[in-house]
Order: sequence, then C-alpha cells, then structure tokens
Amino acid sequence: MNRTSSLPGAEMLRRATLEWARSDGVTWVYILKVMTAAYLAMWLAMRLELPSPSTACVTVFIVMQPQSGHVFAKSFYRLLGSLIGLTVMVTLVALFAQERVLFLLSAALWIGLCTAGAARYRDYRGYACVLAGYTATLIGIPATTLPETAFMEAIWRLLEISVAVGCSTLVSAVILPKTTTAALHNALYLRFGAFAAFLLDGLRRKLERRAFVAGSVRFSSEAVGLEALRAASSFEDPHTRLRSGRLARLNSEFMTLTTRFHALHQLRERLHRQGREDLLAAIQPCVEPLEQLLEPLRNRPLTIEDAARLAERLERLSVETRAAIRTARACLGTVDEETLLDFDSCAELLYRLIDDLHNYSLTHASLAAHRHQREQWGQDFTPKANLLAATVAGIRAGLMILLFGAFWILTAWPSGGMFALNAVAVTSLVSSSPNPPRIALQMAGGAAIASVFGIVVGLFVLPQIDGFTMLVLVTAPVIAFGAFLCTRPRWAGYGPGVLIFFAFASLPANRTLFDPSGLINNYIALVLSMLVSAALIAVILPPNAPWLWRRLERDLRRRVVYAVSAPAQNLVTGFESGTRDLVVQAYGLAARSPEAQESLLRWMFLVLEVGHAVIELRREQDALPALPPYAAEVPWRRAIRAMGRALIRLFVQPSAENRQRALDAVQQAIDSAREAAEPYALHFEQAPVRRVLSYLHFIRASLLNPHSPLPPLPAPEPRHAA
Amino acid sequence: MPREIALHGVYLPTVTLLFLIALGVTWGLDRVLAWIGLYRFTWHPALFRICLFVCLYGGMALFVYS
Repeated sequence: MNRTSSLPGAEMLRRATLEWARSDGVTWVYILKVMTAAYLAMWLAMRLELPSPSTACVTVFIVMQPQSGHVFAKSFYRLLGSLIGLTVMVTLVALFAQERVLFLLSAALWIGLCTAGAARYRDYRGYACVLAGYTATLIGIPATTLPETAFMEAIWRLLEISVAVGCSTLVSAVILPKTTTAALHNALYLRFGAFAAFLLDGLRRKLERRAFVAGSVRFSSEAVGLEALRAASSFEDPHTRLRSGRLARLNSEFMTLTTRFHALHQLRERLHRQGREDLLAAIQPCVEPLEQLLEPLRNRPLTIEDAARLAERLERLSVETRAAIRTARACLGTVDEETLLDFDSCAELLYRLIDDLHNYSLTHASLAAHRHQREQWGQDFTPKANLLAATVAGIRAGLMILLFGAFWILTAWPSGGMFALNAVAVTSLVSSSPNPPRIALQMAGGAAIASVFGIVVGLFVLPQIDGFTMLVLVTAPVIAFGAFLCTRPRWAGYGPGVLIFFAFASLPANRTLFDPSGLINNYIALVLSMLVSAALIAVILPPNAPWLWRRLERDLRRRVVYAVSAPAQNLVTGFESGTRDLVVQAYGLAARSPEAQESLLRWMFLVLEVGHAVIELRREQDALPALPPYAAEVPWRRAIRAMGRALIRLFVQPSAENRQRALDAVQQAIDSAREAAEPYALHFEQAPVRRVLSYLHFIRASLLNPHSPLPPLPAPEPRHAA
Repeated sequence: MPREIALHGVYLPTVTLLFLIALGVTWGLDRVLAWIGLYRFTWHPALFRICLFVCLYGGMALFVYS
C-alpha cells in the first residue's frame, strides 16, 4: 500500500471518530457521568457513615438526565418534595404510631393527594408532589414497626438525598456539560425555519391536509416542550435566567403566530373550496411580498442577526401591505356585501399575520442583549390538566397502598413493607408518562433483570471482595448496562428499573449484612410488586383509555368558554398555551386510536379559530375610543355579548340546536354591527367596527364549515354565508 | 469561632451552618455577577460558580479550623 491510498484512510478514520463522538460518544459520556456521580455519592455516603448509601445511589439514578438543566430542576424539586414528605410523615408517625390501621389510612390519604397533585401540575412541580408522597412512604412504612427510629430515619434520608443531589448536579455541570440552554437555542432556531417552510407551503396552497395537520401537531408539541426547556435552563444558566421573560414571550408569540396563520389558511381554503378564485387572485398581490421575504428563510435556522434583519424588513413590508390591500380593494370594484366581508377578513388576517411575525422577530432579536425592555412580560404559560384524571390517579395510588398494606399486615411477610412501598413509588413515578401501563411493565422487566444480577452479585461476588475500589469494579458493569438502557428511548422503562432496584436491594448498607434469604425475599417483593402495580395501573381506570381523552376533549371545547369569559390579563397566552397543552396530552394518550386523534384535531382547529376570533373581538372592543357610537350599551356590542353566551352554550353542549342558535346570534351581531359600521371612505385601521365585522364574519364561517366536528345543522343551510 | 453552635438545644457543627450561609452568599453573588455580565468572559461558567462557592465556603471554614 502506498502513501496516497492510506491518506484517505486517515481522513476517513478522523471523520468516523467525529461521527462516533456525535452519536455514540454522547451516550458513553452520559454513562460515564452517571457512574461518576453514583460512585461519588456512594463514597461520600460511606465516608460520612450514613446508614444506607444505596439511597444516595438511587437518588442519583433518579435525577440523572443527559442535559444538565433538567438535572438541576429535578434535584431542586426532589429536595423540596422530600422535605415536605418527611415533615408530613414524621407528624403522622407522631400522631398514629400505635394504630397501624389508622396510620395506613392517613398515609394512603396523603399519598393519594400527592399523586393527584403530580397529575395536576404537569411540570417539575408535579415531580415535587411525587417525591413528597414517595418519601413519605419510604419513611412511614418501616416506621409502623419501629416508630422510635422514624425521626432519625428521616434525618438520615434527607442527608443521603442531599449528598446525592449535590454529587449529580456537580458532575453534570462540570464534566463535559451538555447544557439545556444549547438545546433550547437549537430548538428555537430550527423551529422558525420549519415554520417558515410550513407558512410558505400554506400560502402557496401546496400544503395537503395531512401535512397541515402534522405541522399543527408538531408546532403545538414544540411549544409545550420549549416551555419545559425554558423552565429547566433558567436553573442552569445565569444568562438564560436574564432572558427568561423574553423566551416565554417568544413562545407565546409563536403560538399566536401559528393560530393566526391557521385562521388565514382555513379562510383561504374555504374560499378555494367555494370556487372564489377571483377573490383569492385579488388578494394575491398582497401575499406575494411576504412569500418573497420568507423564501430565503425556509428550513434554515434563524439566528439572532437574521431575526434583527427580518424585523426591519417586516416593518417596511407592513406599511407596503397596507397600501397593497387598499389598492386591491379598489380594484375589486363594486361587489356584494359578503364578498367584501370575505376580502376584509382575509386582508385583516394577513395584515395581522405580518404584524405577529414582526413582533416575533423583534423578540427573537432582543435575545442578543442582556437587558431589554421586551423582558417585561406578565403572561404565563398555563398548563392544563384534567381534574378528574388527577383525582383518579390519586385514588388509585391511595387504594394501592391500602391494598398492599393490608396484605402486608395480614401475611406478616418480612418483605411486605418493601412490597407496599415499591408499588407506591412505581405508580407515582409512572403516573406522568403518556403510557403508564407500558412503562410500569418495562420497569417490572428491569426489576427482573436487576434481580438476576443482584442475586449473583450479592450472593457470590460481594462476599469475596474487600474495599471500595473492588465494589466499584464489581458493580460497574451492571450500572453501565442500566445507564445504557436509559439512553435508548425504546427501552426507557427498563433502564431505571435495572438501576434503581439493583442499587436498592444489592448495594451494601453501611454495616454490611450477609443475608441471602432477605436478599431473595426483597427481590421477590420488588418484582412482584412491580407486576401487580403494572396490572393495577392497566386495570383501574387506565389513563390512556377512552374516558380520559373524552374528558380532555371536553376540556378542550371549554377553552372557548375561557376565551369568552376569562379576565383579560393573561388571556392570549393562557388560551393559546392551555389549549395546546390539552391537545398534546390528549393526542399522546389517544395514540392507539387514530379516529379519536382525528376528532381531537378537528376540535382543536375549531376551538383555535373561534377562540382566536373571540379574543380579537374582545381586544377590539377594549381598545374602542370613548365615543357615543362605541358605548358599551349600543346594539352591536350587546349583540356580541349575546353571541358570546350562545357560543358558550354551543361549546359546552354541542348540539344541532345550539349550533343553529349560535349561528343566529352571530348573524344578529353581524346585522347590527353592519348598521353601525363606518363608511368605506375611512381606512380599515381607523374603522374598529369594520374590523369587528370581519371577525364576526370569520366566526360565522367557522361555525358553518361542513367539515367541523359540530353536529350537523337541522335544516338545509341557508345560502347567505355560502 | 466555636466549632459547634447550639441551636435550640441541638448542637450543630459550625461548618454545617457556614455551608448554608455560603450557599446563600454564592447565590446572591451569582445573581449580581450574571447581571453585570461577567459570565461572558468565563470559559466554563458552571466550573466558575462551583469554584466561587468552594472559595467562599473554604474561606469561612478557615475561621473555624485554623
């Protein structure tokens, strides 16, 4: 072989190494980090003579995540939750130490409450609730037999958890950190590129319905995911914390943007279906400049400098579009009222879309500065969870602890305590995942694998060795294997199962005991309780069953009630974020049934359309000048309020009759607003009633849409809105 | 400084208390430094913050054991 042919080999080797470092390398670094943190925590716990170093290890396995921001957030809430749980449990032990039944009852109540809380708050606060319940059981159950040790147990546990939390945060922050901030920026930049492509395809009508639906679902779930990233990364990075308000604002503005685009798209699709190509052609000259502006941004990450440039251009474009719309209307000539309304709705939506894009790019560009006035942002992302689902989760957890506790008392099984405890831990840990029975089953599989390793290591290997180094060498393969499983999404449940249960049962306590029967008993209890919990989760009102997504669908419809009647303060962000959060949840839960997902999405589209128009109506009315024709008691404003009530009735109880009534109310509002409308000589932006009219028209069109999920109208449709 | 402090009849090592105090001081300093924009000039902000904490805590502990 000569030199020239060996050179590409070296180059290829280099490239392959880089490729490996990007994909598998990341996994190996993560495994290394998990092991470092776990052994550091274990060594410290042993050095400080804490009674059970295995608790510290388990905590490390629970909080360790590939991205450091998530580790910080989880650690913080883990400490908080444990503190609350311990306080409650020590109180309960002090109250009911002599009465085992009463104690179990009150413990079941507390754990049920915590699990319900975990299902209610769908972020890290939920995690704190899980931990409050879980830690309480961990202390409470052994305390039923030995109440006098409960207080010291609680203190030791808290120390062990603090040691573990400290080690995991230290390791994930310092050793080759993979920051959440980087992930957040990456997601932000890429998202806009994808949205620009989506927008362009939509404007050019190249978007099929399926692609449109997929895009909407994708952007919704990205909005929800971005909020989680933001919450985690403000724990991690001081610079992100300074920008936290702007990031929240950016996400909210993005949601507004997608809703607006969605409304425009639906309107244009409807015009297309009705064969109104002349009208679409009339508006086309106003759309083209926007298309040209966005074309270079298609599928390209939007950097901060790009955003600043984009904002400048959009500002100019906004002025130009206003002029273009005026010209287009003049070209339209004299047409009937309906056509004019359609044109006005379309033009208004287009103009506002450009305005939203401008706002978004301004906020994006403002991320460059440390301090910026756009940081002042009083609106919060509001996750929505179903109260009933949360209650059911709580009742399920409470029942389980009662059942398992009763079994333990009746059989006097030495490992019964662990059996009960583990079941609770599992139910609460899996209650927030989209498919709890599956994850619980996977964790049971993990526990089974752990028991094989654990018994071999515990019976044959641990008695042979001496010293911490040997302990590390002996247990490292199992832990590395478990950590590897954690990084594979398909086996995500197995990884924690292996790690947690191996550490829990097999790692030596600080006064090492050789107790083969106890070890085997414990593993039997662990695997059995995992299986029983998985079965119970699947049987007692499973969260991914139809009842839940139907409840969520109902909650989704009630978002319109929110849009009509919620206080104006957090209205837009509250509506947009809550609606998306509900859809993302329900969509994940209904994964098995495509029809349910389809119906859900149709409701989402309708709710977003109507809700968005209602919110715009409310804003227009709030911004009205204090003149007699705009007073609160003029007929058209009264008619709009009546329409709001009719819409509430319709969305709380969708029936053909209510649909007809809502349509009549909208028609009534349109008629009375038309009487009050400003003359056409006035510009659109100086004519609030005409803008109101365009949104009313939009609502009517949404309600009349034959593809909407509303029950079909009783009589054949009147021709008026076509 | 005394090596142990009585807190409502419970003896605590002074360093435990100092640990908490150092955590609080670091948190406050961290906020100020981030506001000034110092972290733009650090190579590894997380490491910098940890070192800051270690220095503060170590310095405080030296008053107890020296």
